[in-house]
Amino acid sequence: MPEHPHFHLRVFFQKKGRLALLSHLELARALERTVRRAALPYAVSAGFSPHMKIAFGSALPVGVGGDEECFDVQLTSYVAPEKVLEALARVSVGDLMVSAVYPIGNKVPAASVAYPLSVYEAKFFCAPRRALLPPETITVVRKSKEKELVVADFLEGDMLWEDATLTFSLWSKPTGSLRVDLLVESIAKQDETLELISLTRIHQHALLNLL
Amino acid sequence: MTNLWLRLAALLRNTQRPSRYLNHEWACTYKPEAAYRFCMVYPDTYELGQANQALRILCNAVNRQEGMAAERAFLPAHDFCDTMRAEGLPLFSLESCAPLAEFDAIGITISHELAATNILETLDLAGIELHSAKRTDAAPLVIGGGPCTFNPEPFWSFFDVFVIGEGEDVLGEVLQCHRTMKDAGAPRGEILHAIAQIAGCYVPALYRWCDEEEAQRCGSWIEPLGEGIPRVIEKRVFEGFATSSAWEPCIVPFAETVHDRLNVEILRGCSRGCRFCQAGMVSRPVRERSADNIVSAVVEGLAQTGYDEVSLTSLSSTDHSQIALVLERLNREYQDKGIRISIPSQRMDAFGVSMAGLVAGQKRGGLTFAPEAGTQRLRDAINKNVTEEDIFAAVDAAFSAGWRHCKLYFMIGLPDETDEDVAGIADLAERIYDRAKAALLPQMRGALKITVSCALFVPKPLTPFQWDGQISSEEALRRVNLVRSSLRSRAITVHWHDPATSLLEAFLSRGGRECADVIEQAWINGARFDAWTECFNKDAWDKGAASLGIDVACAAEHTYELNYVLPYTHISAGVTQDFLRAERNRAENGDVTCDCSCAACTDCGVCTDMNLKIELAEVRHA
Repeated sequence: MPEHPHFHLRVFFQKKGRLALLSHLELARALERTVRRAALPYAVSAGFSPHMKIAFGSALPVGVGGDEECFDVQLTSYVAPEKVLEALARVSVGDLMVSAVYPIGNKVPAASVAYPLSVYEAKFFCAPRRALLPPETITVVRKSKEKELVVADFLEGDMLWEDATLTFSLWSKPTGSLRVDLLVESIAKQDETLELISLTRIHQHALLNLL
Repeated sequence: MTNLWLRLAALLRNTQRPSRYLNHEWACTYKPEAAYRFCMVYPDTYELGQANQALRILCNAVNRQEGMAAERAFLPAHDFCDTMRAEGLPLFSLESCAPLAEFDAIGITISHELAATNILETLDLAGIELHSAKRTDAAPLVIGGGPCTFNPEPFWSFFDVFVIGEGEDVLGEVLQCHRTMKDAGAPRGEILHAIAQIAGCYVPALYRWCDEEEAQRCGSWIEPLGEGIPRVIEKRVFEGFATSSAWEPCIVPFAETVHDRLNVEILRGCSRGCRFCQAGMVSRPVRERSADNIVSAVVEGLAQTGYDEVSLTSLSSTDHSQIALVLERLNREYQDKGIRISIPSQRMDAFGVSMAGLVAGQKRGGLTFAPEAGTQRLRDAINKNVTEEDIFAAVDAAFSAGWRHCKLYFMIGLPDETDEDVAGIADLAERIYDRAKAALLPQMRGALKITVSCALFVPKPLTPFQWDGQISSEEALRRVNLVRSSLRSRAITVHWHDPATSLLEAFLSRGGRECADVIEQAWINGARFDAWTECFNKDAWDKGAASLGIDVACAAEHTYELNYVLPYTHISAGVTQDFLRAERNRAENGDVTCDCSCAACTDCGVCTDMNLKIELAEVRHA
């Protein structure tokens, strides 16, 4: 236990533009460095290899952007959330700009599991020529093992087309998530005129919001 | 300038590690308004190039000049090179995403011999003529620099100009000259002629290449064609180094690079005088930055970059006269902040280990030592200046301070090496193992691990061993096997380098202009990324050399007389050929030469002939 309780904060940011192409690890490293540059009194773990007490939201695949991504960080002394936001904004790169900071209790679910339902938006250059259905299964490769996932197990509601934009929601499960990029790719494959411009997680729902 | 981003972006979704090509990292500089545009190229992937300090220093230096912009470019991974060719997408800079061919000048770092074919890959992918002689007035000026330019001849036809030595001042001079003359409409030939007269610049096209007989008779392989072209090109030294700020602004990459941390250069030069070491010979004199300068650079650098690790870099960081003070101050500053401090190389004595202890915190992974040779006789011959007592003192200190692993670097095939010296490597490793075991508690001994790493000796230009040949690949493997078979303990593992790449290094490091054709043929045959084990294409090189009637092994293995004029004698790093010959003779007699940064002058020629001086923050003690 720390001598003084730490102040837990949840920071929201965007992952957009060309930086949507960052991997989760690269993103995590970049965010950690941003916190250090902001000169915040971040907490450090004890032990042989001390590191910043920071925890990241659920991972996005390479190439997928996010409008409401988040990470949690612990501070050793109180800094007003708006000051934290200001300090972070000053040292963030444009396409990873912070948007909000909230104090959170130390009992709330971690950023990585707090939002099990994600809303995605895929933008294409033109609308599809006919109605496209999601595939029944998606094959993902993890640690060189192939796994077949049933799309209906993850999809919440319908996939909605509005002109050239496709919107849909996916559940992430404790056993794993569907690769959203593979899902969109397999839909786009059904119509060769479809060319993806961007794929973005536009919103993440917490369980509480759904009840 | 043409912006290729949209074309590139379309390819990135399906490529590995797109973060290599994105730009937009924290603290990158973009000067779209600058009229004169320079691009610094590292001829390997982003992960290696972005970590390169020369690239960082030189881009900053050029960006500081008014009206000049410096951008960065790297070679894409080899499969993406193919994709780009198939798509007709030329090599681009990161900042503007503009084709390299549209820049006024490009600078290519030649950091090691195995980058040779990547230089051609770079030029070809950029759509720039491979040969200086064929470039038109519209083509960018192609400048080469870096350690390999102390023998620039193997690359002579691919570059318009080489800058020899430290580039901080000279690069700006070259670019200013180019800019002014280009603006005035001067033809390429005239501009090159003017650049050739700037100190430290070598324009190979302005020299006639002599044959061997003439070179030996005249004492040089080159003859200037025209007035005012220097016969000897002396390296440039950044004289303001010691007093200049140690904080060199740096970009914070997204992609994980090698040495992904803040690097603060604390000193330049090393005069320990190891006789195989090119860096030590060509980077003299020793110049230290002060403890105040270093500590404030670390504080400022960490604050501005957000890195959690800083490395105090140099050729021999523990030789800095104030290293203990620097580390103590940094430890105080960063206690409990999760910041790691590292020093790249350990001195082989108890002091070196105590310095390593200061930076290690509680995490004690492995320590690396470089005895280089297995017997005292050979260590004296190569002037390693490390005694067995030093080695054992270092080992005792390290293992009683909590380290469990230790890596030992040795060289195989050093001049005059005997089987006794080779077996001595195994013997030394065994005795180090015994000492380490004795220093550890019995229950800790199971974790004890010693790694012996054997590199093959490569004769390097401007070193006392430059006349010595390399041993053959078969002999190298025999000696490695001798080391392996002489070892008893299973806790000691042996690693060794592929002799085929070391052979190539030896061939190119001492070669003349004939090497350029071999490099080109090898590249045509498919060689590139030769430093990547999985990409090294020995066949391409063998066929290339054979088609030109050149015997690579014969050239690499040849031992010359000490009066033989080598193909780069016209390049001077300040250390005289007489000093190098004298050092070679001392090696033969087993005489050691002291480090002039803490003992008397050894008359190597650098300070006296180049009017330079050793700059220390405090007095050094041997």
